[in-house]
Amino acid sequence: MTHSSQEEIISRHSLLWLLIVNIAVLAPLYDKLTPWSLGICGICLVWRFGIFIGKVAKPPRYLVTALAIASAITLALVTSEIGLLNGLINLLILGYALKYIEMRNRRDVRTVVLVGYFLIAITFIDQQSIFYAVNLTFVTGINTCVLVSLYREDVKLKETARIGFKLLLQSLPLAALLFLVLPRLPPLWMVPQQKSTQTGLSDEVSFGDITELTRSAALAFRAEFSMSPPSNQQLYWRALVMEDYDGSRWTQNSSIKDIEDNTPFTTSRRQQPEGSPIQYSVIAEPSNQHWLFGLDAAFSSDIGIINLPDYRLYSARTVDQKFQYHVDSYPQYAMDKTLDPTVRLLNLRLPDDINPRTFELAQSFKKDLPDPTTRLRAMMRYFTEQPYFYTLTPPRVGPQQIDDFLFENKAGFCVHYASAFTFMARASGLPARLVTGYQGGEFNQSAGYLSIYQYMAHAWTEVWIENRGWVRYDPTAMIAPERVLEGFDAYFQAQESYLLDSPFSPLRLREFPLLNELRLTLASIDYYWSVWVLGFDSSKQEQILQKLLGEVTQQKIAIFMLVSITFIGLVIAYSAGLIHFHRDKDRVASTYLHMCHLLEKKGVIRDKQQGPTDFCSIVEDAFPGIATDFRRFTHYYVALKYQPLSSHRRKKTVKLFSNQFRKLRLKILKGKTS
Amino acid sequence: MKRNGTKESRFTLWWAQWLNRRLPPAARVTLAHKSIFILPTGFGLFWIFLVLILFVFGTNYQNNLVIGLSILLLSLFNTCIIYSYRNLAGLTLNACASPQAYAGETLVFPVKLTSSQPQFEVLVNYPDNQIKVIKTIGEEPTVTLVPFDNLIRGRVSPGRLKIESRYPLGLCRAWSHVNLDNPHIVFAKPLVSHSQLKSIDADNQNITGDRGMHIPGVDEFKGLKQHIPGESLRQVAWKQLAQGRGMLSKEFQQPQGEPHWLIIEDLSSPDLEKQLSELTWAIDKMSGRGQVFGLVISRKKIPPAEGDVHRIHCLQELALLPQFVGGDS
Repeated sequence: MTHSSQEEIISRHSLLWLLIVNIAVLAPLYDKLTPWSLGICGICLVWRFGIFIGKVAKPPRYLVTALAIASAITLALVTSEIGLLNGLINLLILGYALKYIEMRNRRDVRTVVLVGYFLIAITFIDQQSIFYAVNLTFVTGINTCVLVSLYREDVKLKETARIGFKLLLQSLPLAALLFLVLPRLPPLWMVPQQKSTQTGLSDEVSFGDITELTRSAALAFRAEFSMSPPSNQQLYWRALVMEDYDGSRWTQNSSIKDIEDNTPFTTSRRQQPEGSPIQYSVIAEPSNQHWLFGLDAAFSSDIGIINLPDYRLYSARTVDQKFQYHVDSYPQYAMDKTLDPTVRLLNLRLPDDINPRTFELAQSFKKDLPDPTTRLRAMMRYFTEQPYFYTLTPPRVGPQQIDDFLFENKAGFCVHYASAFTFMARASGLPARLVTGYQGGEFNQSAGYLSIYQYMAHAWTEVWIENRGWVRYDPTAMIAPERVLEGFDAYFQAQESYLLDSPFSPLRLREFPLLNELRLTLASIDYYWSVWVLGFDSSKQEQILQKLLGEVTQQKIAIFMLVSITFIGLVIAYSAGLIHFHRDKDRVASTYLHMCHLLEKKGVIRDKQQGPTDFCSIVEDAFPGIATDFRRFTHYYVALKYQPLSSHRRKKTVKLFSNQFRKLRLKILKGKTS
Repeated sequence: MKRNGTKESRFTLWWAQWLNRRLPPAARVTLAHKSIFILPTGFGLFWIFLVLILFVFGTNYQNNLVIGLSILLLSLFNTCIIYSYRNLAGLTLNACASPQAYAGETLVFPVKLTSSQPQFEVLVNYPDNQIKVIKTIGEEPTVTLVPFDNLIRGRVSPGRLKIESRYPLGLCRAWSHVNLDNPHIVFAKPLVSHSQLKSIDADNQNITGDRGMHIPGVDEFKGLKQHIPGESLRQVAWKQLAQGRGMLSKEFQQPQGEPHWLIIEDLSSPDLEKQLSELTWAIDKMSGRGQVFGLVISRKKIPPAEGDVHRIHCLQELALLPQFVGGDS
């Protein structure tokens, strides 16, 4: 049959669309491509372009097959380097690019389009900002246009685009509705994860580490409190607890690490504390790490979160996309009222023969002040009494790091102060540990949430005190109290290294009030996007449905869906031209009757059975003054009523008819009938 | 042709009857919800499969945007159902008169298509026949010639015309089977022969004479032809010239000899089909030469005449003769 041969041919119009869609789909995936995948994609594109302008022939099939096999083998070899998921993505991209040059018939085009949609979905794994969502919706539209172009071969690009995007836009309302109503399920099985660079805090800390972060204006996470948020000096977001110290770096203890590493087999280990909690939800930005953020003794009952014994929260999966969780924090709760002897020993341990001067200082504190609380207070005071100052660019230190810092340089930032304080506490016989996390947060007034940026990274100390458990001490607050009271920004506006790596960060707009407002508005929009779209889950779903329908029942949802789908279907059908309202015809008839009514007042009565032409001759005899006009009026009426007119002609005639009506009415009302 | 007794044919029969009740034969048909069927295509099923895969993918990665994309594609499918319907709804098909055709040739059935709203890429065909693609149908009527392979003579009904569309995305196939009630009389297949021709009065006369022929003459007005300079001015059609139809000449002719008779006597002869074919050939041949001839079929007699109307009349009479029913079938 000739139809099948017709099926084979891809029109030039479709080829042009394919060129466009290829670039549109692959461009957002640029960061996933290995250099040589990029190379092959480039070659395929150039080849396609050559075919399009008629300079090159189609590549022979064996060449494409050979290329495909070679690509697959190479990918298999580098997969261990780039990770399984990235390997699979690259394979798919290469398949897409290669299929693209050997396309022969419409079926191939359809395959390419389906794979295109899949690649768009893959882009969403990493890119979830509003910008990308809008951009990729646009790409989805282009991909749809390719299909349209198969059925409209002879029209301009613009026409195909119009149809494709019209279809997409008309599908959006139903999609939004289904997004709202369709059940959200937990992950069905474990999936391979991206191998990506980790951002944010690291699980070991040494002098100089956190400065890296203070240069970054990237968002770390956001928090929304159900009540008003605590004051800035309460906002110590705990992320990591470091108990091992080797003289230069602080690391997590292996017992905690074991728990963290075996999360698939552990469940929440601790009980929810009693008391009235501070409730808030956190939306963590992708960090490709596991640790989460919470204030004081934090507890979360969300799925996928481990409540670690040191009162921290830990995610079972790496946070590779925005992750929202709910937390209850208990600031009054004493963490570890009784301390396990091994833990106690662990938190007193110090390497031998290190920082002797600091050790000596701590011993003297111990001797003078036997009460731990007063001793700790005195140690804190020590930092204000001596001329210490805060800087993000501290001078270098030798092997006796803490000695050099405390007695020589007397300048440093949070890590320096916190390590020195922890060291002193341990040396004076009090169990102490270093905690890292974030301090503070920028409050967005309009949307009511806190933004915590990477440069708010902080380190402080927790000391165990009889009956009180682990108590937080932040020696940095003694040096630079503004940093803690008013936030990092208030203190560091003038510091040169602050945001050094982000010269174009919108955070720099803070100096200009109007622009700052704009920045905060954009941040609010992004926040709502994160909460209501990216973080839309079954609890949010319930919340919205409850607002819409009152008490949610299966029947109500079914009726709601039925009504909405019918309505949307009718609107689409109407815009597609399937439903007509014959208003036009009725208007013509009523106008004619109106005219008859006017003439009736003047004394000419139309018999119900009288046709318009017969009536016309009677009117002509009675009112010679309007004879010509009335004949024309009747002529239009007859045409509209009895002649099959094209829609264009019809429109024109309706216009003429109503103009004529107006003219006649004026004449009749003015009495120019005879 | 059809196998009887099997389940399949029983279903086919039931289906045909059902269609006849739902869509009775008519020369003019406008497609509406009663006559349009819609089902997903293979590609449409793949599409749904992709939607499912994306949904699972989005669920496993807890990625709302992927879930959103999958739902958007599902919604797009839904929109396409409406558009598929739209692309056939309101389509009016009008059967037109078919050109003459002989058995063994591909017949063409002209169908006039109009629609109040533009419709695209509509495929029409008769079952097992070549598909015609109509790119655009609008308010201006489009006439398409739908081919139909045919071997038999007589009154041939092409059956139900299939109208199909996959516009806009190829996800759904909307189609209809329309019987335009346009049977066509197909002439017997012509077969070259000189021996079978008989005349009513002289048995052994050959047709290769001047019998029944016209020669140019003065007795009968034959028609008008383009005037050739140099011809007698007496033959110029002055009336037509005055009407502005140009310079034409009147042609006259006169019949020569007796008209020729073509005869078929025995309708139950086993080689009836062959005879019909040969007669068909002979009628065309004689008509082409402008000979006057008559036709005798058993007891029926078509008086001698000439011209195309006469030829078609004779050929139709032959075409409509009942098929030979032998004892062996």
